[in-house]
Amino acid sequence: MTGTLISLISIIIGIISANTFGSIFKKYSLGFKGNTLIGVFGSILLIKTFGRLGFDPWSIMNNGDFDTFRLIINILFSALGGILGLVVSKFIVSKMNRNSSNN
Amino acid sequence: MSINLDDLSLYQKLRNFLFFCRIFIAQNQAMEDMLFYDRLQFAFTITFHYIFPQLTMGLSLMIVYFKWKYLRNKIEKYNNAAKFFMKIFAVNFTMGVVTGIPMEFQFGTNWAKFSELTGGIIGQTLAMEGMFSFFLESSFLALFIFGEKLMGQKLHFLTGLFVFIGSWASGWFILATNAWMQHPVGHEVLENGKFVLDNFSELFTNPWLIPAFLHNQMASVVTSAFVVASIGAFYILRNKQTEYGKLFLKTGVIFGLISSLLVAFPTGDWNAKNVAKYQPGTFAAMEGIFETEHAGAEIVLIGQPNMLDKKLDNKIAVPNILSFLTYQDWDRQIAGMDQFKAEELPDNIPALYYSYHIMVGLGTIFIGVMFVALFFLWRKKLFTMKPLLWMIMFLVPFPYIANITGWYTAELGRQPYLVYGLLKTSDGISPTVSSGNTLFTLLGFVALYMLLGLLFLVLVGKTINEGPNHQKH
Repeated sequence: MTGTLISLISIIIGIISANTFGSIFKKYSLGFKGNTLIGVFGSILLIKTFGRLGFDPWSIMNNGDFDTFRLIINILFSALGGILGLVVSKFIVSKMNRNSSNN
Repeated sequence: MSINLDDLSLYQKLRNFLFFCRIFIAQNQAMEDMLFYDRLQFAFTITFHYIFPQLTMGLSLMIVYFKWKYLRNKIEKYNNAAKFFMKIFAVNFTMGVVTGIPMEFQFGTNWAKFSELTGGIIGQTLAMEGMFSFFLESSFLALFIFGEKLMGQKLHFLTGLFVFIGSWASGWFILATNAWMQHPVGHEVLENGKFVLDNFSELFTNPWLIPAFLHNQMASVVTSAFVVASIGAFYILRNKQTEYGKLFLKTGVIFGLISSLLVAFPTGDWNAKNVAKYQPGTFAAMEGIFETEHAGAEIVLIGQPNMLDKKLDNKIAVPNILSFLTYQDWDRQIAGMDQFKAEELPDNIPALYYSYHIMVGLGTIFIGVMFVALFFLWRKKLFTMKPLLWMIMFLVPFPYIANITGWYTAELGRQPYLVYGLLKTSDGISPTVSSGNTLFTLLGFVALYMLLGLLFLVLVGKTINEGPNHQKH
């Protein structure tokens, strides 16, 4: 049950990290809206892809015992998901714009 | 440990009996608490979730319309309108994804028994929703937002069309799941109580499905039409981006009137007939018919269910109309709640009755408002009629309320069953998850959803404030 809440917290961490990264490194920013949306999908993607290595919400709440270490790893990966999502998205958007201007 | 009853005195036997009674009552109470909190949590999370998809489904249709108009007449404002609403769509879509994740988890955590027994059926439709609709919608959404220059206008229109198809397909698969729960078809029940799919095509030709889908989709178009019209009214009232304000208001009013009418007839009518046919006890409860009338049933406009005296208080009703609307026969008898056993009736009749009447009442108001707005649009007075513009702007929460109460009607009407007539709601919960655990996570959801709701309002507010003239891509 608490695992479900952790999954939502991961998403919010992704939103915060993408916006923070975007505000520090302006060249990667897609604006508040863009950063927020990318933060959501980036964190979901990374947690869904790699969470089964042992830091998905269910492993954190394994047998009802809260595992702080796994939670920290989960939070770090959520934040990384938001940042990576932003970098990759910015790369794709700039490539698409470059291709279209070449055309 | 076994107790030999012959060795005990009458007093001890009585004490033991009372002790076991207390345990039984406590266990029963705990089960009822678990059921209550599981239902409460699901109701809260799905109500919040459904704020978002109901707009995306309707809005995708209007975006396709704007883009199509641009392809036809090459007027830039239609293209800007399509891109502007796609940004609002993207915010809604993302919030829908975030709030949809707890729904997916809850099937496993709170409703494990239901998932175990019916996974062979609902797993099919829910997996298809994720695999086909979600990926179609999300991939083409990104292409629509970022790829206009790269793809050219015709392909850009096609990406918008695929977003629309993806969002409506999503609705189709969810409604197919719900239709099976309302009117189970095409399945077989194994000896261990598990439901397995017997006939795949029956799942998608379920007589409950098509009217429910069309009704739901038209209702989502009503929501989006009101949102588009209210943004238009807002721009006109603020004297800002008035060219777009007029376009949005005009488009919203036309879509609003057509969809409001289609929600009532034929889709709403068709749905009500299905309820009367397949869930007659539910039909009697939602219409507030406590006693069977012998010569035609009246339609209740206003009244409060009095569950003690089994009647409606302060009733205003029109005779014979319900019989005519349901069976096109003024004198046809419709079974009242007195014809059913208590266990055949929904377990919360007042909530069902009010949900249904709020939905119908609001739907009628929408037709009226949009009809008046269209009349003044035709008379070329709408854009200067400030009271009407204020009314359209402030009516925007009400289609959401109507949609949600519509879903409450469907879900409360199916109770006390999860799968109508086959699986009781109390038999579908996870027996090991305590009510305290569910209550704790419910409070967590409330807090996190408030945060998400605030973020949503900020994002949509920023987009509306920037307006359609502010298009970067």
